[in-house]
Amino acid sequence: MRTRSLLAACATVVVALGSLSQGQTPTPATAPATVTPTPRTADGKPDLTGVWGTGGGVGVPNSVQKGDTLVIVFQLEGADPFEGKNLFQELDRRGSARKAAAPNKPPYKPELAAKLKEASDLQSKLDPAFYCKPEGVPRMGPPSQIVQTPGQVVFLYEGRNTFRVIPTDGRAHRDDVEPTWNGDGVGRWEGDTLAVDVTNIIDESWLGPDGWFHSDALHVVERLRREGDTLIYNATVEDPKMFTGPWELTPRTLRLMRNPADALVESPPCIERSAENQVTNDHH
Amino acid sequence: MRQGLRVLNVAFALTLANVPALAHHSLFAVFDENQTVTLKGVVSKVEWVNPHVYLYLDVSDVAGKVTTWSVETFPPGTLRRGGLTRDKLGLGEPVTLLGYRARNGKDLVFLRTITFADGRDVVISLGDIKEVR
Repeated sequence: MRTRSLLAACATVVVALGSLSQGQTPTPATAPATVTPTPRTADGKPDLTGVWGTGGGVGVPNSVQKGDTLVIVFQLEGADPFEGKNLFQELDRRGSARKAAAPNKPPYKPELAAKLKEASDLQSKLDPAFYCKPEGVPRMGPPSQIVQTPGQVVFLYEGRNTFRVIPTDGRAHRDDVEPTWNGDGVGRWEGDTLAVDVTNIIDESWLGPDGWFHSDALHVVERLRREGDTLIYNATVEDPKMFTGPWELTPRTLRLMRNPADALVESPPCIERSAENQVTNDHH
Repeated sequence: MRQGLRVLNVAFALTLANVPALAHHSLFAVFDENQTVTLKGVVSKVEWVNPHVYLYLDVSDVAGKVTTWSVETFPPGTLRRGGLTRDKLGLGEPVTLLGYRARNGKDLVFLRTITFADGRDVVISLGDIKEVR
């Protein structure tokens, strides 16, 4: 009983990279009704400046103190008791099922199905983010903090200590830089929506952890709209070499984080030490 | 430790609907759930890095030969949010811990419980926190 309980409790430990709270959960695009007016900069544009999050991280307890015992929990909402054998494998099986059932996948051309399956099967060998390389645009999602100044917007990402400087002064894409993980982004205002046009993304990155490769033709347009204390993030992803048509990411809704404890802090470095100890290709 | 083990009797679950997208490696690919190891030693190093924090444990055998075990656990953000900051990981102190051994036979475990010299226990778990309270 004791052993089984130990296993039941521990087998389910899943470890995640860095901050887990920033925009990992897709949410509907519809912003809640708000009475908070959207602040504007001197030029009349919506001011996107602020720390943006889901509120699911700092401030939400993930541990319980019982006497001298501290239990740190990786939260699984509404988890049911599980009693069984081969728990580690079961964890992977359910993870794979969850990915397979994902409602919004890139529209890959049919002839890429075999290559896609191979990449998915070998995720723990091939996924660059597994090996601490950047997630890049658009995989890393919305920024954790925005700093808006006349003529440029700066996106900050806490998870991997990443920055993007987005000019909004009407300049064109630059042609003097190598492809990068976050690409070359230039911003423009579409009414009250900031659109960031991104090209020159390195073809090494993945669009998600399920083998979602792309080509050097990747083109992303991110759209950010502030409504009061809510920020809505959308992105349209095009890859004419790989996709049958545009792919719309599931929109994410973030809220303004005003608590000083939500201020961004430097993330510890990412150093991958597990890969050499994997004895199978199993993955989540 | 006894109190910590009682906590283990709480049933945890494998429902994965809310597992964040950025999960790292499969536990099955690295660790053997049927091979738990209890280790007593001194924490000689704390590596506070993503995607996993590592402790290094110097374990002496009866002849005095020291073997250094690697102990893998949650990422730093998860530990910190749970109240287990870097300075509370027992650096330089004797500890007793329970972990799952690596399938490749290396001196490597995934941390399940750890008891510090001052009597504190930490239990690493996954499940619905409401079930733990």
